[in-house]
Amino acid sequence: MKKILALTLACTMVVGAAAPVAAEGSDKLALNVIISQYGDHTQEWWPTFESKFEEANPDIDLNIEIVSWNDLYTVVNTRISTNQAPDILNIDTFADYVADDLLMPAEDYTSEELKAKILPSFWNANEIDGTVWALPILASARALFYNKDILEAAGAEVPTTWDEVLDACEKIKAYDENIVPWSLDISTDEGQAAFSYYTWNNGGGFTDADGNWALNSAANVEAVNFMKTLIDSGYCTADPYTETRYPQQDAFAAGSLAMMLGPCNLYDIAAGVNFGVAPMPTNGDNESVQMGVCDRLMAFRNDEAPDQEARTAAISKFFDAFYDAETYSEYMVFEGFLPVTTDSGEILAASADKYTKGDGSANGDSEYFATFCDMLASCNFYPASKPEWNDVKQGVINAEQQICQGADAQETLDLLQEDILTLQEENEAAAEEEAAAEE
Amino acid sequence: MKKHSLLKKAEPYVWLLPSMLLMAVMILVPIVTVFQLSMSQITRAGVIKGYNDFENFKAVFRSPTFWHTLKNTLVWTVTVVGFSTLIGFVIAMVLNQEFVGRKIVRAIVVFPWATSLIIQSVIWKYSINADYGSLNVILQKLGVIEKYINWTPTAQAHFAWECWIGIFVTVPFVTFCVLSGLQSIDTAYYEAADIDGASFWQKLGRITLPLLKPSLTVSTVLNIIYVFNSFPIIWTMTKGDPADRTHTLATYLYKLSFYNGKSGQAAAVSVIGFVILCICSSIYMILSLRAEKEEQ
Amino acid sequence: MTSRKRKKLIQKICLYLFVLVVCVIILYPYFVMFTTAAKDRDEMYALNMTILPLEWKWSNFIEIWSAAPVFRYFLNSIIIAGGATLLAILCGIPAAYAMSRMQFKGKSIFLGLVIMSQMFAPVVLLVGIYKLMTTLKLVNSLLGLILLNAAFNQAFAIWLLRGTFLSISPEMEQAAKIDGCGRIGSLVRVLLPMAAPGVVTTLIFVFINSWNEYTMALTLMSTDTLKPITVGINVFYGFNMIQWQYLFATSLFATVPVIILFLCIEKHLAAGLTAGGVKG
Repeated sequence: MKKILALTLACTMVVGAAAPVAAEGSDKLALNVIISQYGDHTQEWWPTFESKFEEANPDIDLNIEIVSWNDLYTVVNTRISTNQAPDILNIDTFADYVADDLLMPAEDYTSEELKAKILPSFWNANEIDGTVWALPILASARALFYNKDILEAAGAEVPTTWDEVLDACEKIKAYDENIVPWSLDISTDEGQAAFSYYTWNNGGGFTDADGNWALNSAANVEAVNFMKTLIDSGYCTADPYTETRYPQQDAFAAGSLAMMLGPCNLYDIAAGVNFGVAPMPTNGDNESVQMGVCDRLMAFRNDEAPDQEARTAAISKFFDAFYDAETYSEYMVFEGFLPVTTDSGEILAASADKYTKGDGSANGDSEYFATFCDMLASCNFYPASKPEWNDVKQGVINAEQQICQGADAQETLDLLQEDILTLQEENEAAAEEEAAAEE
Repeated sequence: MKKHSLLKKAEPYVWLLPSMLLMAVMILVPIVTVFQLSMSQITRAGVIKGYNDFENFKAVFRSPTFWHTLKNTLVWTVTVVGFSTLIGFVIAMVLNQEFVGRKIVRAIVVFPWATSLIIQSVIWKYSINADYGSLNVILQKLGVIEKYINWTPTAQAHFAWECWIGIFVTVPFVTFCVLSGLQSIDTAYYEAADIDGASFWQKLGRITLPLLKPSLTVSTVLNIIYVFNSFPIIWTMTKGDPADRTHTLATYLYKLSFYNGKSGQAAAVSVIGFVILCICSSIYMILSLRAEKEEQ
Repeated sequence: MTSRKRKKLIQKICLYLFVLVVCVIILYPYFVMFTTAAKDRDEMYALNMTILPLEWKWSNFIEIWSAAPVFRYFLNSIIIAGGATLLAILCGIPAAYAMSRMQFKGKSIFLGLVIMSQMFAPVVLLVGIYKLMTTLKLVNSLLGLILLNAAFNQAFAIWLLRGTFLSISPEMEQAAKIDGCGRIGSLVRVLLPMAAPGVVTTLIFVFINSWNEYTMALTLMSTDTLKPITVGINVFYGFNMIQWQYLFATSLFATVPVIILFLCIEKHLAAGLTAGGVKG
């Protein structure tokens, strides 16, 4: 009996120790925020922001949770299906949440001053049916990064066209076959980015000039076939299907990868090599198109919140504090990304050098930031505000993988286009039904 | 008196109660939820909209990827369970011999079992990478290969590696199950067989295998269930890519749910997997019951 | 005579060769894990890679503790695995006892249910589990994972314990009963001490399973300081850069204690495993 007692006691103790620290009965307004992890520094920066914010707003209890991109969708989806959506979420998509009527219109919580300083193109990019549903948190531009030393040693020029890419790869391969000349990532992680790089620079893309889905255009077929050529000639990193961009960035930083289409925050990671940045190579005479990526911050509705007004006010305060020029600039330097507000864009382009990172190691580089901020104006973005975007994203990744494994490009993309159009019809029919029901 | 016997009848159930309660709440409730979800329409963002006339199951059955995944699951289960049983059996036979260093080898064989699947998979994924993986480096330094080899050029190659890791981590379990069976066999049988001049294969077929049947059955049944539902290896290695050619049901439903935003279909796949396992185990139950009757 | 001797010798050589190959293959991933853990970050993708680190960077093994709350992850793992083991065994012993020592209606149904519970892997039930945990307010709590791990290990615990109990003759307990011990008394004083090896095996088994559990912890624990080690090491595998050296160094720390535990029960491992099936 004693043993059982002892066991029970031990068990209670473990369970007791494991019980969550219950939120003490305060009347503070709790704001749950999910922030996605952009890099090593994300974890350092936000806790400081949290404590500063709570100091300035003692009536708000800010809970910031940093979630890695790997787990982000899992966490968010399970939360939503169990009615535990966060108050504020940082993620890339938003159309699905709008379709389910989960978000608050951005006008509800965005102050006039804030709205005035967000770059108009970014503000408008989050519009669906005339309402803006999210705020841009940061932008990133992608361009061609090349290792100057390797290209020089191999006697290769910086490529501007696809033919020159193949030529440069050949020369690098001949110079040192242990160096990987080019990288390609068509993994589930971010395969849609590769689709953009190559189709846009071949005059194609996700949509046609009128904004309708045009996934099976001749330009797209040619572009995906070019990816296959790159893989088949052995110029790329060996495993484009499952290897994400991150090991490739590390390889570029270590000097074992010569060229890659990468994001602007690569400058921090690749500080150790002598690298240059150039516009993305295009096919023939097509104009070079850079890719911009924009992630978002959005506020979820919470119809059960007792005091809606206070909640909205707290959300506004959060955004005002975050987009404050100094705070926001500091965060951009921390992550190595580009600002989406006018005032901090100016600060960064002029004086990014004065910001240091958490570990004090790297400084912002004003000139570098200025180049990319300029680039941002002419970038193309994903059509993320279209309700079919997520299916298109998964669809093109799957199509790329099939084609590079040997499937016929035209057939595969035709099938995808057909699927997406069917889906679009269904979505529209459902929307009409709902509208009719409301009337 | 009556009250007393009632109490006595109820007693076993009282003993079972804590265990039953735990399983009912933590396992049965989620199972019911999954059945419910499999028949509901769920939006991409995860909002549940109600019953939808088996539309999830219809959509799953229409998808060619599902059928390919089903085939993969079968290949995966049979290959991993089959090969690890075979290899585990051989290793157990060897470990049952007397030789110098046997204890150390037995200890080493335990390693893969004690390591978490996620860690195992990450190591192998890193190791077989063609550009920087250590397998190429080691083979090159040893002079086995001249140039780095791309170990995973096709979907089949990816899948083969996944099966290999599956086998790698399953072998120890089989080895120890068989080993325990071997150790419980009375040596007198073998001595008698030796006197009769029986060959190694005769002893294996007539004595060892029949007496090992219970141990092998246990390990095979448990392994089928575990391997069928295994998730971390394939998810870490490929996430089912390239082009969804390396999925098994467990990873397929995870991708459907959390990447493709089709939680309803994912729940349907769970239910289908459950039904398959149920059918398999009922067949097993019926067969073993019949065998028992025959023995009697 | 000599030919027979030679045959014996060849057999011996083959045996050692086989054992050697098996050991090399099994130890290979651990070799990779160890050497990579001791490499400098710059060496990971370097052009001319070496098998062993150019310079053994032992500091990696120290740096991990400050690079992430690794200590906290370990503590969480210990609490989760320890709690789940205690709970699983406390619920499992009475159930296994009833299954092995009592006759009652529905015994086979219960056994069937136990096996059924194994057919749904946690990954299959993820959404259901998450919903349940939300209802119970146990999302992001160690207690939630303790309960789940205990439940998902019930089948195995009952299976192992029942086998152990069945292999022990009930005579001693009957004698104890005559001496005036109740059922609980005879279980605790007579059966459990005799079944100690089996109980310990079960304990360690459940502990290891819970320690290595990944999927449920991944979805349920989002607060960094509550993550167990299997999920926690993802910080080194995160966005933007993969810190292979830290990842593997931490993995080593997570693996070694489990291997040691396993070696402790290695002797009983085999016997405990099949007892359930053999005597069933």
